[in-house]
Amino acid sequence: MTSTVTAPAEAPPGAGGRERFFGLMQRHGATAVLVLLVAVGSVSFSSFPTGDNLGNIAITSSFLATVALGMTFVIITGGIDLSVGSVFALGGVLAAYGMRWGSFAALLLPLAVCGAFGLVQGLLIARVRLAPFIVTLAGLLGARGLLLSISNEGATTYLIPHGSLLARFGQGSVLGLGYPVYLTLALFAAGAVLLQRTRFGQCVYAIGGGEDAAQLMGVPVTRTKVLVYVMSGLLAGLAGALNAARLSSGVTILGTGMELDVIAAVVIGGTLLTGGAGSVSGTIAGVLLLGVIQNLINQIGDLSSSYQQVVSGGFLAVVVVVQTYLSRVQRLR
Amino acid sequence: MTVPSRSGVRAAALVAVLTVAAAGCAKSENDKQAGAQDTQGQQQVVQTPSGNTPSCTISKFGATKFDLKSGTVGFSQSEKEANPFRIAETASIKSEAKKLGIGHLKATNGQSQFNKQISDVQQLIAQGAQALIIAPLNSDGWEPVLQQASAKHIPIITVDRQINATACKDYVTFIGSNFYEQGKRAADQMVKALGGKGKVAVLLGASGNNVTTDRTNGFKDELKQKAPGIQITFQQTADFTREKGQQVTEQLIQSNPDVNGLYAENDEMGLGAVTALKGAGKKAGEIKIVTVDGTRNAVSQIPSGWISAVVESNPRFGPLAFQTLSKFLNGEAIPDKVIITDREYDSSNAKQSVSSAF
Repeated sequence: MTSTVTAPAEAPPGAGGRERFFGLMQRHGATAVLVLLVAVGSVSFSSFPTGDNLGNIAITSSFLATVALGMTFVIITGGIDLSVGSVFALGGVLAAYGMRWGSFAALLLPLAVCGAFGLVQGLLIARVRLAPFIVTLAGLLGARGLLLSISNEGATTYLIPHGSLLARFGQGSVLGLGYPVYLTLALFAAGAVLLQRTRFGQCVYAIGGGEDAAQLMGVPVTRTKVLVYVMSGLLAGLAGALNAARLSSGVTILGTGMELDVIAAVVIGGTLLTGGAGSVSGTIAGVLLLGVIQNLINQIGDLSSSYQQVVSGGFLAVVVVVQTYLSRVQRLR
Repeated sequence: MTVPSRSGVRAAALVAVLTVAAAGCAKSENDKQAGAQDTQGQQQVVQTPSGNTPSCTISKFGATKFDLKSGTVGFSQSEKEANPFRIAETASIKSEAKKLGIGHLKATNGQSQFNKQISDVQQLIAQGAQALIIAPLNSDGWEPVLQQASAKHIPIITVDRQINATACKDYVTFIGSNFYEQGKRAADQMVKALGGKGKVAVLLGASGNNVTTDRTNGFKDELKQKAPGIQITFQQTADFTREKGQQVTEQLIQSNPDVNGLYAENDEMGLGAVTALKGAGKKAGEIKIVTVDGTRNAVSQIPSGWISAVVESNPRFGPLAFQTLSKFLNGEAIPDKVIITDREYDSSNAKQSVSSAF
């Protein structure tokens, strides 16, 4: 990414170089801001660029990132999935609930239920042609309700015992990074290949670019749309299960408002809410940007909680404004 | 080509200005609260006898001794300082740290997001906190924090809510109220207000923590014992917030019009209920309300009759938390729970005592 930042100094003053630079900034604006913030943070706070601290940011971000991966696909098709926060929490509670049948059941149960959740939402959206916003809003409430019914209105917290395979995976680390971080990276690599190099990925972009045109070109619109919601459900459930493994318990109060963080991360990463454009690498940058902003606010320390939200909101607004501005400049040329 | 870099600089400058401005505002606000705090002077008092004999020493726990005046202490608040309890709690910790000249107090706020609170505390550990004061949002799910803290021998004191773990092994001690007792006292007040007969609704607190569980169980057990004539006909969570309290009470009036008593597990929900009852055209005292916390807003509703009684839950944890911590660091034995005494407000003392409410 440093190459992007230094580009103006090296690139010839021709229009081509210019356009390329603006294009890069629009697509990778989040990465550029991330690099800048990390640099400023490292200079300003000695406790920021430590292995422990960066490892914490990585593990905390990994769960949000996994959910955001599914959301990226959904948003590129021009849809939205508001249910991910509740499904994330449901996945965690189901994992802890499923521990009574062993670690594999504890992983399969949330995947099955959350995948099915995504399937139903996908069918309602693609087949019955209901608005994604409404369907997944109902999903948000439904998944939370299911969670409450399993956990006794939230009063019972199921535990994932120490030493079980699932707990060891959630809590273990190698080279200062937790196992879930590596899994997230692998998922993103797979996601990038799926989106950029396969027919399915091309269909996702085509639907976001224009659903009717895609239909006319012979793109399997219904199937592709159902699949992206299934993916989103599966990934949210998986992230919830791994998070529960890390916490050793199916905490019932998780995930409220998480869908907004996820959508913010995806959009900051350069994916257009209108669909048709975006990348999974941008999403990673978006997620990390949220994590680093949060971390830096804590480094500053003496901010009252209300102003913390003002500052993080301000940060995000700046990123989005810069991005929009750059994309407009690019279009004018 | 200069455009993007200039806008980058502008963005950075804007961010810097925002940050500085926010920090400035935050500071002045805190100072004001700290000042108000000092004049009130209703500090927490430890109950005697307070549970088990003190047995947890620094050597038994395995922590490293350090000087509070030059050391770093981390404080993790669970919820935004948007309700009186959290405002008073954070202000008390901060002003006491200032008063004692604690080297560095690093404070974070979990904003009611449990994963954020976990990463907040992990960050405090990474930033070199030598002791932690935590107001936990949830009782379970502290595994990653407890592991990191124990690897670095960092003592943890939890305030107001408990962590489901072992005292003197995973954490040093818990400082807070006896919530079961608060529930029982609320039940006694309810029995008095209703004259031992009637139908009662309960607004439960947020789920997943010991406060809600204990305040509920204490209330139910005491009612069963003292007043079999009182029935609980409705209970639903209102998440400790005023909006939810109002919303749930509005539903309650529709579905259970015959209710004569309402027990709200904190003041905010109780005040929401008052708003709902006023909106429905009820008169003060028509439905007897008993709440827990002792905020000024709730206590000042007692003389007018909208609220019958308030059981206190004192949030001024600063002095006791740092006193316990410094005792622990000096090698003194600490009990596994430090339980504080809470007062009660009803029509007999509300007018005189409202000034000491928070």
